[in-house]
Amino acid sequence: MYDNGLIFCAVTAAALDLCILILIIASYREKSSSRKRWKSFSSDMELFENGRSYYLGCDEVLIGRHGSADIRLHDMSVSRYHAIMTITDGVWTITDIGSKSGIYVNGRPVKQKKLHENDIITLGSRRLVFRKRRDKKK
Amino acid sequence: MSNPFSYIFSCLFVLIAHAGMLVNVFFNGKEVDTKEFVILCAAVLGLDIIYYFVMLFYKQHTYTVDFMLLLVLNMSVIFQSCFGGVHLSMKHYITCIVSLIASRVGYHLVRDHRWIQSKKKYVWVCIGIMMGVIVLFTGSRSMWIDLGFMTIQPSEFIKPLLVIACATSITEQQNKHKFLQFNIVWENIILFGITAAVCLLQWWCRDLGSIPTFAAIYAAGFLLRICYPKAKFSNKTLIGAGAAVLIAAGIGIYLAPDYVRARLFVNIWDDTTGNGYQQSQALIAIAEGGWLGKGPSNGFLHEVFAYESDIVFATICEEWGLVIALMTVVVILLIAASPLINPPLSYFHGTLCAGVCAAFTVQMALNIFGSCNLIPFTGVTIPFISMGGSSMATSGIMAGMLTAAQNPVFAKMKSAKPKKQKKVTGGQPA
Amino acid sequence: MKSIRRTQSVITLFLLVFIGGMALLVYKINKEAPFYMMHSDNHQLGKVYDRNGDVLFDAAGTGYDENHFLDVGNLIGDDKGQMENTLVAQNIDKLNNYSFSEGLVKEGGKAAIYTTLDHAANRAVYNAYMGAKGCTVAYNYKTGELLVCTSLPSIDVTKGYANIGELESGTLISKAMYGTVPGSTQKVSTVISALEIMGPDRLFSKTYNCSGQYMNRSGKPIDCHQSYGHGDQNIQQAVENSCNPFFAQLVEDPDLPLGRLKDMYRKLGYAVNDDKPQYIDIDGIQCEKASTTLTDSYDFNTQWGCIGQGDTLVSPMQLMMWQSAIANGTGKMTMPHLIDHVTDVYGNTTETAKTKESAQLFTPDTAETVKRILLTNGSNHYTGSISGYVLGIKSGTAQVKEGAEENALLVGFVSDERNPIAFCVVLENKYSTPVYAEQIVKTLLDSLCS
Repeated sequence: MYDNGLIFCAVTAAALDLCILILIIASYREKSSSRKRWKSFSSDMELFENGRSYYLGCDEVLIGRHGSADIRLHDMSVSRYHAIMTITDGVWTITDIGSKSGIYVNGRPVKQKKLHENDIITLGSRRLVFRKRRDKKK
Repeated sequence: MSNPFSYIFSCLFVLIAHAGMLVNVFFNGKEVDTKEFVILCAAVLGLDIIYYFVMLFYKQHTYTVDFMLLLVLNMSVIFQSCFGGVHLSMKHYITCIVSLIASRVGYHLVRDHRWIQSKKKYVWVCIGIMMGVIVLFTGSRSMWIDLGFMTIQPSEFIKPLLVIACATSITEQQNKHKFLQFNIVWENIILFGITAAVCLLQWWCRDLGSIPTFAAIYAAGFLLRICYPKAKFSNKTLIGAGAAVLIAAGIGIYLAPDYVRARLFVNIWDDTTGNGYQQSQALIAIAEGGWLGKGPSNGFLHEVFAYESDIVFATICEEWGLVIALMTVVVILLIAASPLINPPLSYFHGTLCAGVCAAFTVQMALNIFGSCNLIPFTGVTIPFISMGGSSMATSGIMAGMLTAAQNPVFAKMKSAKPKKQKKVTGGQPA
Repeated sequence: MKSIRRTQSVITLFLLVFIGGMALLVYKINKEAPFYMMHSDNHQLGKVYDRNGDVLFDAAGTGYDENHFLDVGNLIGDDKGQMENTLVAQNIDKLNNYSFSEGLVKEGGKAAIYTTLDHAANRAVYNAYMGAKGCTVAYNYKTGELLVCTSLPSIDVTKGYANIGELESGTLISKAMYGTVPGSTQKVSTVISALEIMGPDRLFSKTYNCSGQYMNRSGKPIDCHQSYGHGDQNIQQAVENSCNPFFAQLVEDPDLPLGRLKDMYRKLGYAVNDDKPQYIDIDGIQCEKASTTLTDSYDFNTQWGCIGQGDTLVSPMQLMMWQSAIANGTGKMTMPHLIDHVTDVYGNTTETAKTKESAQLFTPDTAETVKRILLTNGSNHYTGSISGYVLGIKSGTAQVKEGAEENALLVGFVSDERNPIAFCVVLENKYSTPVYAEQIVKTLLDSLCS
């Protein structure tokens, strides 16, 4: 009985292991499809500045000098928490969250503005281009 | 992957896992009655297949959490049906179906974070109603409402509500930053008040095991809130606050009344027939089971009180072995860890996942470590495994929230439709 | 994105803490499972063997000769919980035929304790008592292996405890582990102390007169067992005659201040006056050391305490251990042990005994001097009754039960490189027994020495 028990225990454990493995693999496949979905939803935009691009990876992107900001700009002219970018219905909006130097979109000061492709956003002395993502790795 | 037909493999392997367990039951079980066994097989495998077809009607982007939920729920049906003899545990089977339905409820409830945020006052009201129910119906030393045919534990339902309350307050807090110069957020105070009230109420009910769960949910929300923009907390403050909490806990234990301390510091081996009875029997059962167990339905622990809920980990260990018991825990952890593999796309859903993870891990820790004498023994249930309708339903709701976090609604339905088509075409090559 | 990663790290934190706890739990279960198993009704116990492979304990208890376990019953004990201070009760976890990965081993588990006892010799000694009560303990004073330890009356553990109410007192304990009145064997300690305090030259120069009874300085009579008296004697003669008035006068002597005597007694292991009692641990078995009351050099009770009556109590085990310090010539006792090695369920040896020594009790010079005194005593008085051995020996007669009974004691050692044996024999109520303590020693040595 003990030997039988051993075999069936092993079979059960193996079946469970396999199932867990399959589910983990499925989960990873979902991750890539989720990325794609996000890409199509968010119009796959990025902020670009002097050869550096910043990926917009979730529905609220904080821009500022502080370490906890999603997009961190090391520049004293940028407030610690400068602006936040949000997305609604596939349209990105930039909002000032109490910065000292304000936000300029295409040279005009704004508190909150819907962004269009190739808009130029100025935060303090930094200039960022809002544009379609160009992934070189792809 | 959004096409549910592509999950046929996931479903197949879930079926295989359950079939493997059932084979184990058939050959290692004690005096297996073929009729009972066939009923059990039909119930478990039938539910697997029916669930798959039901899922076909749901247009979701991810289904893994649902299948993990199915896996663990039917595992627990098999576990619960084999304690002391093979026969389908109808009560647990029904609560499992309730749990699956509840996961749908949880899914729809929090899918659209803008909608739930606009409705958060109702969440608070719901918590208030639940607390009122507890005050009015359970009495000061009990946690159940007896409806005659079943008992309900209303405090369980506060758990998902508190998770939602924590998550909604986070995003709201960011909206406040737009208007206020100073960082006085009324919602934080409201939330703290709610949590404190719930904890006090649980103390009043002597449901001491729930307090750490609520505290953990709040702590997860709090941690994420103080990291949020403009919250002025440095690492030093954080460490200092943590140390203060620890010291307060130490003083609390020192000053605690005798009956609490007696529960905290009990040597179960000196009192194996009294206070330490359940735990010592549980540990003996684990020792007798070893790595591979005695075989389903061959244990003795089903004669001990609360074998199917509070010390269920030991009962599984005894009959199925520590390996299978650990794997069951791994499956639940995987459900809780799903946001690590496939990250949520908004801070609201991230916070929601953290709260759910906190609730799951803390409940499991209290149950498993408590029954194995690592920490004081409290009557907490393991999500999805322990028998108990309220616990199963709320765990289902919370699992549904995890699914929702991976399938968020960002857009209104009108504008979402053309995007969805895009997505399907994009999904095919993957 | 950092914000999402933050939520993920909180989740990771919870998961890691839980997984850490889980790992700890698995480790703990793995480590403590045998202990949990001991509380189970299903546990299987291994056997206890003597040095020659003879079984001393078997939980099954069937298939053995009548009274096979009788002579070791109250030393080895069993798992029934009636006798706590026994080898099996104290080491039951070592007999557990269980391991977490193998589960319960019903048949062929190899967990066992191999003791140093010699069952044949133990039985021979047990039989030599011919139904009298008392106890005998003997060990190898070089290695510390306990060879014989029997205590009468004893119990056959395989027969159960149904008649526990009718058992004589002392049946369920090994008397060698508990204090008894040492009688004149106590004088060995007094001689050691006097030698340490005065030095051999001064002690040997002292002579005291014995006229059968000595009126001490507080006016109380100290009687000698020889009512005509022993006349003038030195320390060697006094030991050989076991003369009480000599030792009473020695205690009164200003060259033996009581403070230093107390210190010396404490060093030997006595709990003097209100000291906390001390114990020797012999593989988990708790063995009492010695205790006495010393208040004033002229006090009647104090003097009797140094002679071996009064409040003095010494365990036979302790009496035997002092002999090892003398016989070894080092002034250090060899600590006795009962377990030679232990095997686990797979038959792997998990622990092996090592010879241990006590701290320095007295100087090697003192040891040599006392050894000479005891050997002279042995050759002068015991070559007839215990023939064939070079013995250092001291006898004692202890009055117990308010003087109603007298116990005979013999402590000593064999001065032989091949058979380094120290022993202590206690024969209770010696006037109503068919046997002499010397005969028991003779049987003991005959069965141990090859």
